[in-house]
Amino acid sequence: MKRAFLMTRRQFLKAGSTAVAACMVGLDFAGEAWAKTQDFFSRRLAQVYKHDAEMPRRKSQDNPLVKQIYKVYLEHPLSERSEHLLHTEYVSRSKAIEQLKAVGVKVDR
Amino acid sequence: MPEQGLRETVEAEGVRCALAVPEPAMYDKTFFVQVDEAKCQECGTCEQFCGTKAVRKTDSGKRRIVDPAVCVNCGQCLVHCPFGAIGEEVSYIKELAAALKDPDRICVAMVAPAVRYALGEPFGSLPGECVEGRMWAALRRLGFEYVWDNQFTADLTILEEGSELLARVTGAMKRPLPQFTSCCPGWVKFVETFYPDLLQNLSSCKSPIGMLGALAKTYGAQKTGRDPNKIYTVSIMPCIAKKFEGLRPEMNDSGFRDIDATINTRELAYMIKQAGISFNDLPDEEPHPVLGDSTGAATIFAASGGVMEAALRFAYEEVTRAHLVNVDFHPVRGEKGIKAAAVNLAGLEVKVCVVSGLDNARKVMDEVSAGKSPYHFIEVMTCPTGCVNGGGQPLEPGTRFADAPFLRKLCIRLGIPSSPRRA
Repeated sequence: MKRAFLMTRRQFLKAGSTAVAACMVGLDFAGEAWAKTQDFFSRRLAQVYKHDAEMPRRKSQDNPLVKQIYKVYLEHPLSERSEHLLHTEYVSRSKAIEQLKAVGVKVDR
Repeated sequence: MPEQGLRETVEAEGVRCALAVPEPAMYDKTFFVQVDEAKCQECGTCEQFCGTKAVRKTDSGKRRIVDPAVCVNCGQCLVHCPFGAIGEEVSYIKELAAALKDPDRICVAMVAPAVRYALGEPFGSLPGECVEGRMWAALRRLGFEYVWDNQFTADLTILEEGSELLARVTGAMKRPLPQFTSCCPGWVKFVETFYPDLLQNLSSCKSPIGMLGALAKTYGAQKTGRDPNKIYTVSIMPCIAKKFEGLRPEMNDSGFRDIDATINTRELAYMIKQAGISFNDLPDEEPHPVLGDSTGAATIFAASGGVMEAALRFAYEEVTRAHLVNVDFHPVRGEKGIKAAAVNLAGLEVKVCVVSGLDNARKVMDEVSAGKSPYHFIEVMTCPTGCVNGGGQPLEPGTRFADAPFLRKLCIRLGIPSSPRRA
């Protein structure tokens, strides 16, 4: 009998599934590449700088409310009232880490 | 955790939040983030994103945050977990909802720069779209009497922190160099925990929200003629670690608790949806004028490098007394984890470094510890690229395994580091 097909059923299935798999991987890569140009994090970042460029004032010292609060309330940067309300001190928290190590908890920075 | 099943929880934008607020005295012994072992699939993705190795494999193979002392509460594990197994253990949603209804409380919203760039996403906006006008409107409709802008105190931070830097550089202030920024609560806890010898290098400035909390109940109360005793200050942040900061016992310089509650962008979106507010139909509104005005220098606090750029815009004019025409300072922008630059301010050379991610911070800090750091000023943000991509922001689509692209699914299963962005 004359061969009606170029490949057997088994060969066809094998080639077919390989092709489909290749397409899927290809599409996934293409999707990834597209996603990169649409990168979520970068898009958020870009919007921040875009908004900055659109603002009428772009330097903190030009903020009229900042000038006002120093004039009527805080006097000047690092003033006594500034130090009281706007500045702070920090505490060492390393003791808690030492205690954890002492009881055998794995901790490394 | 035996009580897990009994606790009241809600799901805010895909993240489980336990409706619990710790006793103030227990703030440093409380987990703000924890793994639900029943949901953990042992993929290890969380470990790849933890900057302090706080989340570790237990004997059962499940992951768990070993102790609150090791965790800086950044939530990077949470926003990257493919199975939604990591949730928030502290949420003020319930307490805040009650305060908003209480006629004896004057609720004040204080909103961080980064929130406005992501709050729209749960309502269908494009990533990063600035929705500040609708955000102010939504807050008023939720019942906040005053909506104050944390960007105002970002500007104020620049004057205080910039002046502090110049005082350190000129020797007028006897504090060591380099000066570190102190805006990021994850970073501050990181220094306090792992580099206690360098605490003097941290700027003494509170973070912008620390400043606004204190000013709200003093200057703000005075200017609006309201009783500071009744004011309930709510810090709204792109962050989980800010909940820890709000609970710090020293945050009481106003004579009251400076910050009464802290929620993040996801929780705000949840509350707006729960209240049935049609966010996209809201008009654009403005923040309340008493503590509401801000500049571009303040809004860039949302990005890694923003504090530095804003500080340079100030320092240049302060030192040279000349008008700065081009305010864009590109060397400190972008997504790189470590960015260094040198700036000449009328003969005074200032070397700066901008860091995001704690792995990068550790490299720079070890240099400082060894006395080999060339810098005068170092900005550090715990979350890669800064607050705008912080641990309290809405999740990136494709984070969860079910919506992940094929390659990321494969990576998760094989334990290969992957994020929705870089599979």
